[in-house]
Amino acid sequence: MRYFVLALLPFLALFLQTTFFKEYPIQGVVPDVVLILVIFHAIFNGANKGTVYGVICGLWEDLYLGRFIGMNAISKGITAFVIGRLQGNVFKENILVGVIGVIGGTLLNSALLFIISLISFEIFNVDRSIFINLIYQGIYNTLIAIPVYIWYYRSSKRGVLREAGND
Amino acid sequence: MLTALILILVMKLSSSNRQEITGLEKLIRESYAPLQSGVDKLQQGMSQVGIKILGMKEMDERLQAEEIKNNLLSLENMQLRENKAEVERLRSLLGYKEAQEDQYLLEAARVIARSPNNWYKTLTIDKGADFGITVNMPVINPDGLVGKIISVSSNSAQVLLITDREMAVGAILQETRENRGIVEGIGNNGALRMINIPYYSLVRDGERVVSSGLSETYPPGIQIGLIKDIQKEASGLVLSATVEPFVDFDQLEEILVIKSFRGMEAQGSKGV
Repeated sequence: MRYFVLALLPFLALFLQTTFFKEYPIQGVVPDVVLILVIFHAIFNGANKGTVYGVICGLWEDLYLGRFIGMNAISKGITAFVIGRLQGNVFKENILVGVIGVIGGTLLNSALLFIISLISFEIFNVDRSIFINLIYQGIYNTLIAIPVYIWYYRSSKRGVLREAGND
Repeated sequence: MLTALILILVMKLSSSNRQEITGLEKLIRESYAPLQSGVDKLQQGMSQVGIKILGMKEMDERLQAEEIKNNLLSLENMQLRENKAEVERLRSLLGYKEAQEDQYLLEAARVIARSPNNWYKTLTIDKGADFGITVNMPVINPDGLVGKIISVSSNSAQVLLITDREMAVGAILQETRENRGIVEGIGNNGALRMINIPYYSLVRDGERVVSSGLSETYPPGIQIGLIKDIQKEASGLVLSATVEPFVDFDQLEEILVIKSFRGMEAQGSKGV
């Protein structure tokens, strides 16, 4: 059941990003719910599992987008690895862990996407809107992250996302 | 490390120049398309319920008919304006040449989804290969140029908006006839950038920018936006300007795919 939910979550997140959230953008920016899920998975499961989940979720998004397949897989995988490494001894019941994780993860993921785009794209026009979008993305992701973190924490401790043997 | 290397290789192979997407990508798109279409219909249905509750169905039908009429007139007006400029130019040369009136074969489609991230500016529409839509077809709406088709599955297609950072469109200034400019996306739905305008150009704020037709993908005369905020580039040889697009990319609900236009056959399949 846990694995089914873990697979269903990015599917639903992508669906929401393309449909529901397109109706409620902040300055044209939509939240990256898939990234939020990847960050939380890394926080609760560590660097290795987080990286695998990040690569799979990113690849799923890449296959949907159909352009530069692997770009999101690499950026989300690395983001999950770094977040997973840093989560070590933090008190995960504190919602600030989720909030700081999402802000840091959003910055890191965007920086990685920016670098990959500069290297890979034939044309990639840059101006200051890229940084303005990043600020809105950080704010929007944080707003979404708060309720999702509460649910994720509860599910990881007592609910459907609890690992077998973790009592 | 091996995974990263494989992903980098796949990334190179799947750049935006591909003519066709893989079966797996088609499968994923097709799994989302009915859900996205369903949400779109649900939203339409909910607005209809509201209208019925208010007893305004008849008024809504009339409004829709007027809206369609208005859209067609806007499209016609856009072509007429470009034709008028062309006629005036030809008259001034005291010559006569039959006006090139582009004829479009259009396919109307609904926007069912948008890009899930902020790096790409794309739309998903509810029509694909089954309706004769292929990669690189230009996409417009009555307000102007929207973008081009970048990938197609049976029942859906993805449109790359001209606001995407990867987009560049050959453009002409409608009054000064300066045709060396390129309009490029900067990832912002409210603004585009026109580059490569010669320093001696008489371009001014408020001038209309239309597609030049010099590129291989877009027909000429499709309006793009209005010039504002002209700046001299560091080299001093060229100018650049912000272009305020005519199309409201955040509110797009229906678009028109140009399946063919006069002159299309003579041109290649790839272009800016």
